[in-house]
Amino acid sequence: MPFLDEIEAAIPGLRAFARALARDREAADDLVQDTLEAAIARQGQWRGEGALRGWLCRILLNRFRDGLRRRRPVTLALVPDVVDAASGRRAEGRLALAEVHAAMGQLPEDQRAALLLVALEGMSFAEAARALGCAEGTLASRLGRARATLRQMTGREDWTQRPGKAGE
Amino acid sequence: MPEDQTITTDEVLRLRHGSAADRSRLAALAVGDARLAAEMEEWDRQDAALRALYAPVAEEPLPDRLTRAVRDARTAPVRRAVPAWGRIAAAVGLIGLGVLIGLGTARLLPTDVPPTLARAAMASYATYAVEVRHPVEVAASDEAHLVQWLSKRLGAPIRVPDLGGEGFTLIGGRLLPGETTPAALLMYEDGVGRRLALYITRSEGAGQDLAFADAKGSQAFWWIEDGLGCAVAGDLPRETLRKLAVAAYHGLTET
Repeated sequence: MPFLDEIEAAIPGLRAFARALARDREAADDLVQDTLEAAIARQGQWRGEGALRGWLCRILLNRFRDGLRRRRPVTLALVPDVVDAASGRRAEGRLALAEVHAAMGQLPEDQRAALLLVALEGMSFAEAARALGCAEGTLASRLGRARATLRQMTGREDWTQRPGKAGE
Repeated sequence: MPEDQTITTDEVLRLRHGSAADRSRLAALAVGDARLAAEMEEWDRQDAALRALYAPVAEEPLPDRLTRAVRDARTAPVRRAVPAWGRIAAAVGLIGLGVLIGLGTARLLPTDVPPTLARAAMASYATYAVEVRHPVEVAASDEAHLVQWLSKRLGAPIRVPDLGGEGFTLIGGRLLPGETTPAALLMYEDGVGRRLALYITRSEGAGQDLAFADAKGSQAFWWIEDGLGCAVAGDLPRETLRKLAVAAYHGLTET
């Protein structure tokens, strides 16, 4: 697929990733726009190694981190639009989703990014580590902590992680 | 691994986000391990919630500003290497530098096709400057070793220019494959996290005055003197980059 077509095809997925990461519609679309412009400007540097999506996510993550260095964190909206967007759900389901969304907001950015790359983007371990620019061991520990925090914050501690002890 | 040995969370994560074979293996392990099975169910719930929350964003109509970014690129005329004002600024700067360092007549216009050296420098910048954690192989804290190692592999003594006057400090360096001999890459960073690559390689060709080259996303000033080809590359204002090139030139050549 020609480079620009591939970029265009990646926009919706990038928006979802950016929204989950930045947790604000405008800030997320700003990130996506910056990423697209940077990617197009660096077209010559794209060598077709791995998926273009990974490269775009990596640029987006760098922009996101740059933004974090420059700005104070955005105050989070009380009723996130993403929860409304996941429409047509039972009130109970919406509550659970709102809980997960809130918990995601409490995660350190690098843990949140790691979890989104594998869970939302469906990236493999190697792809996600490359996009994050970290070692696979680092990715594993970020994911482990992210999942443990998420479980605690969404009130599911009904089984123990201690080895050798059977649950339920 | 003995069957009864508890698998670590690390290993579970690698299997879950690994190949199809890895996932089947994990599923098989979970059959005989209630704790693991419960954990996998919880992770399934987490992943389903994340998809339910954020995947619908991808279905939203795209705002115009995002489609425009790609549309403009499709219709954009072939980009000139350097805008007119850039040529003038570069020419003025180059004349000043030519006088300053006595290298003879400076080029009045940058080359349209970046030469190998400049391209290699810009590619190295593009590859390694975006690295958050591994921009260099040897950190600046180990500078003496870095200099010794790179000098040995290049077969020419090199120095680490002090670019502190321009606000850039060394973060380290690495060895790169070059055309005929290895090349050295020194990476610098300023207070706001902007990075600069100084690329050094042996060059048997004729000397070359400071020249400017431009690619999408990065620019370089490069020169060849006394058998060394050097380039500074970065995504910085041209004048800033030129000052850095002059400082690097002095740092590399003056004792």
